[in-house]
Amino acid sequence: MAAPTATAALNASVFAPGDQMLLTVTYSDADTKPLTVTVVVTDAQGNSSAPVKVTAVIDPLTVTVTDSSGRTWTRVSDNGSVAVYRSVA
Amino acid sequence: MPRVTVQVRDAAGNTATAAADYNLSQPVLGGYYLSGGADPTADMAGGNFRSLTQYRSFADGYIFPGYNRPWLVSLGKAGVQMNMVLELKHYGSPNHGPQSFTVDGTSYTVPAPAMTIQQRPGTTFPRAYGYGQVLSGQCDGLFARALSQYRTLGFGVNIQLASEFDTDHEFGTTEDGKTYTWAESDARAVQAVNYILTWFKARSLPANTTFSVGLAGFDRACFQRTHPESLMARLDFLQWNAYGTNASHTALARFRRTKDWAVADLGPVALSRPVIIAEWGVRSAEIPNQAAWIATVPAAIAQLNAERGPRIARTNYFNSGWGTLTPKATGLAALRAAYATRPYV
Repeated sequence: MAAPTATAALNASVFAPGDQMLLTVTYSDADTKPLTVTVVVTDAQGNSSAPVKVTAVIDPLTVTVTDSSGRTWTRVSDNGSVAVYRSVA
Repeated sequence: MPRVTVQVRDAAGNTATAAADYNLSQPVLGGYYLSGGADPTADMAGGNFRSLTQYRSFADGYIFPGYNRPWLVSLGKAGVQMNMVLELKHYGSPNHGPQSFTVDGTSYTVPAPAMTIQQRPGTTFPRAYGYGQVLSGQCDGLFARALSQYRTLGFGVNIQLASEFDTDHEFGTTEDGKTYTWAESDARAVQAVNYILTWFKARSLPANTTFSVGLAGFDRACFQRTHPESLMARLDFLQWNAYGTNASHTALARFRRTKDWAVADLGPVALSRPVIIAEWGVRSAEIPNQAAWIATVPAAIAQLNAERGPRIARTNYFNSGWGTLTPKATGLAALRAAYATRPYV
């Protein structure tokens, strides 16, 4: 299995108390693949159901954010390759 | 410095780690100046005023804390950060001849100021000790006198050399009958400031002593000329002033004008220095609703500090001249409300 990669970037390097802080995490893994499985059920007479699609991800990644000052970071969005987290200075 | 760490893990337990460091800034210090260098204690009482600008001439025998100004010591000991503007400019008391005095047992004689500045046509040009006089050591006694008094103050201050070099030099200067252009005057001033810094830094200074040079900040080329990296390496702050004097002037635009020039023109050492706004104000003749304008200042400062470039650390309202609060009570209330707002808290 390939190792994942990650970068982390804050929207500023200095924050005033109370400021919103945004952390953008960009991550990927060569093994991580989206996959769509389409299921069609067919009976003995040859009648088929409408196709049903389900999606899955091979080797999904989990992202964990920790902060040395104890701040809590809340996930705002995550599309599978870019995740944005928010905290308060 | 806090650090946020990101770990990405796949199903097999392979991980990747990334980190980003950040800093938390202190609140911006809201500050004040009261006309005539008068006692501002009553105006500041109960409000979040944490910074003060004062003006002294090196010609004056009473620089720290100033003649009859015991309140400055009280405010300083209470933690109000002092920006002491020390000027070579002579404030025009009747006696602007030579001075002889003794400092800690050493006698000094300082000749009369030999330069004129602020040479706006049709006005009387103020006198100042000349940059040549400084470089030749003729003003050392003035520095010794100031330092001796400073050491008894009980706290460190920022020493801002000159109030506004651009205002002083805008129409050229004259020393000993020789005229100098604006640019020449700037170059001479930088030399003189370096001399004064060397003089002070060679001696024992109170803890937390810092230095800056004074500019109004209305002229881009002058601002660049007076902030070479070699000088900024010896200074602790950038400084400029900001006034709303036209109905079209927004607080954001007025505070940012000089910052934008600095970011474009100055070097990394200069840009690493925080900024003291020694004076800011809004002129009631053009902007009668001073309170409304003042109310927009906190957001403007917060926005500027969120952008790239030097951080504005102190802003001192100039309740005098262009900034005179009219009516005072309304203006002061607006100032108090502003200083109770982020980024001042």
